[in-house]
Amino acid sequence: MRQVHNYLDLSLIEINKLFKEKKITPTDLVLEAFDRVEKNKELNSFITLNKEEALKQAKELEQKEVDSLTFGIPIAIKDNIVTKDLRTTAASKMLENFNPIYDADVIKKIKDANMIIIGKTNMDEFAMGSSNRTSYFGLVKNPWDKNRVPGGSSGGSAAAVSSRIVPLAIGSDTGGSIRQPASFCGVVGLKPTYGRVSRYGLIAFASSLDQIGPMTRNVYENALLLNTICGKSSNDLTSVETNEDFTRLIGKDISNMKIAIPNYYVNDAIDKEIINKLNEVVELLKKKNCTIDYVDINYIDKAVPLYQIIAMGEASSNLARYDGIRYGYSYETPENIEDLYLKSRKIGFGPEVKRRIMIGSYLLSGKNAKEYYDKALKIRDDLRRNFLATFEKYDLIIGPTNTTTAYELDKGLDDAIKSFLDDILTIPVNMAGLPGMSVPIGFSDSKLPIGLQIIGKPFDEAKMYQLASFIEKELNLDLNPNGGEKND
Amino acid sequence: MEEKLTREEVLHVANLARIEIDEEELAMYQVKLKQILNEIEKINEVTSYDEGMLICPTENKCKLREDTAGEMLEPREALKNAPRSSGNYFSVPVVIGETGEASA
Repeated sequence: MRQVHNYLDLSLIEINKLFKEKKITPTDLVLEAFDRVEKNKELNSFITLNKEEALKQAKELEQKEVDSLTFGIPIAIKDNIVTKDLRTTAASKMLENFNPIYDADVIKKIKDANMIIIGKTNMDEFAMGSSNRTSYFGLVKNPWDKNRVPGGSSGGSAAAVSSRIVPLAIGSDTGGSIRQPASFCGVVGLKPTYGRVSRYGLIAFASSLDQIGPMTRNVYENALLLNTICGKSSNDLTSVETNEDFTRLIGKDISNMKIAIPNYYVNDAIDKEIINKLNEVVELLKKKNCTIDYVDINYIDKAVPLYQIIAMGEASSNLARYDGIRYGYSYETPENIEDLYLKSRKIGFGPEVKRRIMIGSYLLSGKNAKEYYDKALKIRDDLRRNFLATFEKYDLIIGPTNTTTAYELDKGLDDAIKSFLDDILTIPVNMAGLPGMSVPIGFSDSKLPIGLQIIGKPFDEAKMYQLASFIEKELNLDLNPNGGEKND
Repeated sequence: MEEKLTREEVLHVANLARIEIDEEELAMYQVKLKQILNEIEKINEVTSYDEGMLICPTENKCKLREDTAGEMLEPREALKNAPRSSGNYFSVPVVIGETGEASA
């Protein structure tokens, strides 16, 4: 039997050194990653594995020069990002047999950087949900407590990084879908500024809110992965060229930073344990002479109804493409073309997706469009301006990522309203197109991870990493759910 | 009594969404959609706002691409995931009936 070395517990810098000294090969890492997939099968974090191709690529890399810290590193990709000839389902029956004919822009960049795709991770169906329980391929379990949710919608990516199957994963975030599961699973997750990463090849949910972002074990590796995936693409009009190294401020002194905490982010709906951890961080920052002020940001409390109108409206339009004709599930014996649409969509979509399409269709129909949608866009504009005004006085905004820690798998899924309340602290960031990240700041009494949310002004991710890395270093948490024990 | 939408309202929305629903789902949507709508009504608490709309948080200006030839898909690739195809075409149920009327 092959000896197990647990190389995947090492930092990317340590792995890189071993590669350069020719002590290990990418194949060693790939085999170890698949061992860990097997050992963590119960988590159900993957929908499709890419073993044959990953091993082939690893072999090819042995002939290449080790040219970057991400060279030869196993990575997991959320299953709503298209990968050429590798099944991409968005966790839906609708796309159960969908094999993309092209690579998303981020996938091209990941392949060019010689990272190795291990597989496609489980998620809420079409990224609609925040507990990973709406997946057609079954729920995902939290590595810290297998009776609890990992969060969502990027729950599979969060669980795969948290359980140390892979050091790096890609998620997507429309209302909190990277930050919320990162917080529940004790990993670092960043939703970049809207436009930072090309959305070409991301299966669209709400196009004005969606962003692809990195999920990793630590802050430095998160910045490294953002370095790889960012940049302008001619395939995404909203994407922006960037020429910067996101690691450049990591470890730099944070003294005298000006930080705001919205009063809404310390409201009564938030668990006391979470507020206590936030307060501990505040004390750390005060010791570094940082200014911490509690501020009001008008309309931040209206972000959930805004989200329901804007995200559902955009979703109903984006998901109109699933017609049973060009790709996706198709009803076998339709009476006519109308019947083909109606039955393919009835059977192909799960309940949460249908509910959101129904809401969106209602809100965009007839006079509702003016009454709700137009008004929502106006309030959204004000909300963004209120955020930007705050950033004229402060460097960063902080607060909790979530109102609670990871909850039990059997907690009611039926309540239409409550399913959105998971995201009250993350949605405002998407509404305004800002960058936001979650970084672990400790554990609850029952040993569940707690995340701090850091929000920056547009395109200021480097400063967010600066603060996050300071907090990470000061707290020095053990974030491996397998504890100090070796994986074997 | 539980607040709900009328049957006709729900059926109209289902038709717009092109999703077939059964009686049980209809009853469920009458209640659930109404719950969400009540939540959404909260935006009416906001009475003062500027007229500018934020459709998408980007500063990029809309512009046309250069008219140059780029990569193209082969018909075979484009049809690769099609549930039904015939030659270089997507295949669908008959749309024009014998009477010359559209069937749907």
